Amino acid sequence: MPKPNVQRTSNLLASVTDEMLGGDLTAKLQDKTIRVERLLLELVRPHPVQPRRVLPERIHQAFHQQQLTPTQALRELAQIVQVAARQQSRPFTSVLDLLTQPEDESETTSELSPEETLLRDLVNLAVTIRDDGQVNPLTVVDVSEGVSHLYRIETGERRYWATWLLRDFIPDSNSDGTIPCIVIPTKTASVFRQAKENTSRSGLTAIGMARQAALLLLSVHGHEIPNYPVDNDFYRQALELDLRGKHEFTDTILAAMGGISKFHFSHFKSLLNLSDEALEVADRHDLDEGQLRYVVKLPREHHAEMITQIVQFNLTVKQVREMCDTSSDRPQVEPQVSRAAKQLLKFLKAAEEVTPQEFVTAMLSAEHDKNVVRARLQSLYQYLIEIDQALASTEKG
Amino acid sequence: MTHVFVFTNHKGGVGKSTSATNIALGLSSVLKSTGATNSRVLLIDTDSQAHATLVTTGRKDYGSQDSLYTVLMAERQSAAKVMNDCIVQSQWNPDLHVLPASPMLEGAERELIGAAGAPYRISDPLSKIMSHYAAVVIDTRPSFSLLTEMALIAATDAIIPVEPRYLETVGLLSVITKINDIRDGWRIPDLKVSGIVITKMDSRIKGHIQLLDDLKSHPVLGKLICGVIPANEAVSYAHNNHQSVFSYDPKASASKAYAELVVTLIRRMVQG
Repeated sequence: MPKPNVQRTSNLLASVTDEMLGGDLTAKLQDKTIRVERLLLELVRPHPVQPRRVLPERIHQAFHQQQLTPTQALRELAQIVQVAARQQSRPFTSVLDLLTQPEDESETTSELSPEETLLRDLVNLAVTIRDDGQVNPLTVVDVSEGVSHLYRIETGERRYWATWLLRDFIPDSNSDGTIPCIVIPTKTASVFRQAKENTSRSGLTAIGMARQAALLLLSVHGHEIPNYPVDNDFYRQALELDLRGKHEFTDTILAAMGGISKFHFSHFKSLLNLSDEALEVADRHDLDEGQLRYVVKLPREHHAEMITQIVQFNLTVKQVREMCDTSSDRPQVEPQVSRAAKQLLKFLKAAEEVTPQEFVTAMLSAEHDKNVVRARLQSLYQYLIEIDQALASTEKG
Repeated sequence: MTHVFVFTNHKGGVGKSTSATNIALGLSSVLKSTGATNSRVLLIDTDSQAHATLVTTGRKDYGSQDSLYTVLMAERQSAAKVMNDCIVQSQWNPDLHVLPASPMLEGAERELIGAAGAPYRISDPLSKIMSHYAAVVIDTRPSFSLLTEMALIAATDAIIPVEPRYLETVGLLSVITKINDIRDGWRIPDLKVSGIVITKMDSRIKGHIQLLDDLKSHPVLGKLICGVIPANEAVSYAHNNHQSVFSYDPKASASKAYAELVVTLIRRMVQG
């Protein structure tokens, strides 16, 4: 069978139709006015390298590696939330339970895990879309190839997941399985547009900002931004790059990052030094850059633990700084040793430099009573005996 | 809005598939050459004979898993995705995509009797993916069967190919009435009869000229004539070679006539 000659066809049609179509009609065909189109949900996919993580990292990676469908990804999230809810004795029979107001709101809301908060927000958004329609369309880039139709989300990933929730998890939703989108030609898509959108709305987490900074830096330094999921090492390539080599882009990058200073840009970028686990926890709990910048100074193996403590004890920036400074001053001390034990150790080491008379004078001046001093020394004798016994048992062990 | 052109006539052999395939290719090629933002065109073959499928894809062995039949039998919620997955690229042009027919369509109508929403089983899923296309062209079988009705419900523009013969032209008004009945019965305000294409016109035959003149002078039908395609060997040979008439013989009179028809349709698309 002879192969059809596409060029020949085009030539004929072009020659016959040029004068018939006319310039006005051609201009209308080339119309690049932005239009909102309803696209089939299955044909729309989030960008795998989007700095903002909507789903937890594990589910995010599995979804982008095609191991999970959108429905399965949301089901995994719902299962995590179900476990968390049961641990807190909260009811969870359907995702709509998350919208039920607790009797003592202030008490219960503060106990929600990040996954519960995430799913609750998505369900809330889904219900808003169900009741009021989707006012704000997604921005997508048409990356179709041949008959493989695909639209990559540039902005609006949360609305995307909310629409899936609406379709598959919320009864009586009447979702037709489509989503309104503004389709942007591939040529006009850029990491700068995405960055502006990301930073201008509800804002990114500090880790999201770090990834965003990395993407912009990598982009202006000529690295190709992949269309497949990447690990943190991809973003860490930016640690070797800086704005100094690209003066012409500096203002554009800082503006795309929400008008931050070079100083802040550098701080955000340095967060990529955090270990993988630390990055995930910090992102999930939306920790502040101010808290994280001190953690970065610690040895990498201590990052995750420190971040867990920040989350667990809701530490302030000042507290984090103090803890990190102390830790970095004495990196040789085992982290499980208490502060009081460390002080006692210091005291024992200092004993060689203090004469008994000096010590008695110091004790009397502190306690003002010889009997109290004797009682304290009795306790110390007893304590030293117990230390000796503890040491002996360690040697036996 | 994406225009959906359906080529229909209950008479066989009038050039429905030839017109549908060549117009679909023409639309895509002209849109591409003018730098249109979208030049993708979808050809849907609803005829179980699958001639349009064969000439554009080189195959006619599509079956229960990869053809229009699959779409018709799919669950309502997944039908759009199924339709999207069944679409293949034509051999004629990368931007001309085809939803292939299957011989199994012959039994589909029987299987769909009593099925909920059966008449909407093309229009519903198509409405969810058609924004991807600049235009959709549907080829129908030579009868007003359920499948043709489905095609018309999905369409915005019905185009009736007709040979310049007495009996065919006499039946034209009844075809138009039937299409209007479907439009009113199923309440599809977007559907209109937007053209009559005279095919296989032989200007050496007096009867053809006479009938064409009669049609042109008719108060209704005369206004609907949107193209006259000359009888041309290039058309038959092009099909034999699985080629479009444009690529088989660009200088043939039929090629030029189809090109003019393409421009007419694009004009309508742009003007709404």
